[in-house]
Amino acid sequence: MKKRIPLILIFVAGLLGVISFVIPHPSYQVYDEWMRNDLLRVLSAFAVVLALGSLLRVHFDKIRRKRRNWQYSWLLLVAFGGSAIIGLFGGVAADGILPTTVRSFSFDIQTLYENIVIPLASSMFALLAFFMASAAYRAFRVRSTEATLLLTAAFIVMIGVLPLGYSISKHLPAFVQWILNVPNVAAQRGIVLGIALGVVATSLKIILGIERAWLGGGE
Amino acid sequence: MKIYERLMTIDRRIIYAILLVVVTLPLVFPSVLKVTPMTPVEKLFTAVDNTPDDKALILDCSYAPQIKAEVEPMAIAVLRHAFKTRKKILVLSLYVEMIGLATRAINQVVEEFNSVAETYEDSLIYGRDYVFLGWQPPPIVPMLGMGESISNIYVVDYYGNQTDTLQIMQKVKNYNDISILVALSGSTIPISWVAYAQNRYGLRVGVGCTAVSGADFYTYYQTGQFTGLMVGMKGAAEYEELVEANHGVKGRRVASEAMLSLTYAHLIIMLFIVIGNIGFFLHRRRK
Repeated sequence: MKKRIPLILIFVAGLLGVISFVIPHPSYQVYDEWMRNDLLRVLSAFAVVLALGSLLRVHFDKIRRKRRNWQYSWLLLVAFGGSAIIGLFGGVAADGILPTTVRSFSFDIQTLYENIVIPLASSMFALLAFFMASAAYRAFRVRSTEATLLLTAAFIVMIGVLPLGYSISKHLPAFVQWILNVPNVAAQRGIVLGIALGVVATSLKIILGIERAWLGGGE
Repeated sequence: MKIYERLMTIDRRIIYAILLVVVTLPLVFPSVLKVTPMTPVEKLFTAVDNTPDDKALILDCSYAPQIKAEVEPMAIAVLRHAFKTRKKILVLSLYVEMIGLATRAINQVVEEFNSVAETYEDSLIYGRDYVFLGWQPPPIVPMLGMGESISNIYVVDYYGNQTDTLQIMQKVKNYNDISILVALSGSTIPISWVAYAQNRYGLRVGVGCTAVSGADFYTYYQTGQFTGLMVGMKGAAEYEELVEANHGVKGRRVASEAMLSLTYAHLIIMLFIVIGNIGFFLHRRRK
């Protein structure tokens, strides 16, 4: 029963989702609209609650058992609680019941986002440029014909996409567009079609109950 | 240590330091490098420019803070373009963590225009000229639902106003009233717009994406599923150039200012690759 009910549910939901695209009859479309616009939103609200509950449980558990780096879990919980309170009661435009300004110091949700989240996330991502430069220097070796072709194409595209490319030759950016539009698209289309077929096959396996890893339990 | 060994084993800290200098200096002393707009960006610009008066455009700001440097200038350029040509615009985000960035872009551009507006008519008025619909999870709900009714999906906007009471929404009911949707994202969200909204409702989709995603998206651009395409910082700089050249919109052009930094970074990376390969060739010849 523990496995059969989820399997029946996914079979019915998967089938209904697919046939909505092939049955344009208004009566079915009304039902499909209800399923997408109402049911799906209710389900995702549950998913949010579940995810937050799970996150809190994991970190409380980590603190209680004093697992490795448990101190950082306190940081997460304080940030979580603080931003939740400010976000819920401070209002989206600092117009909530909770005052979010002390003299000239503001701590409304937008200010916190702009001054903490954006710089932290941007900095982390900016580090990639340094790792990529170092990795490109170490890994990009002309060992074979294929590697030479790859390197040549990379150099042409790297120069061609820059304003410098137009200064070298006005035909270079057009040539780069051709590389992106023709050889690149040819390869990408093959990959995309392969992925799409893989997704269809996996979806069918899940809908028909052949693939059951998502149920958990190790089988 | 032999010369080829030195060429092949440059300390990564030296690479980091040189890259830091060449990236930072042009940003500290900014200067706008003129760019020549390419066809994919021109097509997007034309599509936005040709939005009829009775239709609106949607700007999907679904970019995370990580890719803000590349994609935020696109959002600002599209907003400047839309506001300058008095297009009605609906802004939304498909994920919650991106709402703050969308708010930031809207506030900046509205402030730019309103600070020089002389009359009420010239000013940008929330609810009349633009609306921020906010976030409605999961993404498939607004993608498909807005095809039937935008106000049913976004019953209230980001600030809690009833959307069906807003002036802008009196004529904008569903995708039939939308000229084009511009999806700004670093993920596969633009492809989802094509898969759901375009296939079912015929919505035109334009895209602004990171340079990394660009290669993936050319497939959809070539087939015409994407009306136009802005790729990376260069794409943003091209759009900035078009907006300034065609409509005389002045304002800080962040992407164009970063072009010099990007140029030096590309050249340095290429230089290091060449150095590494010289060492590799010398090493192979010696063997």
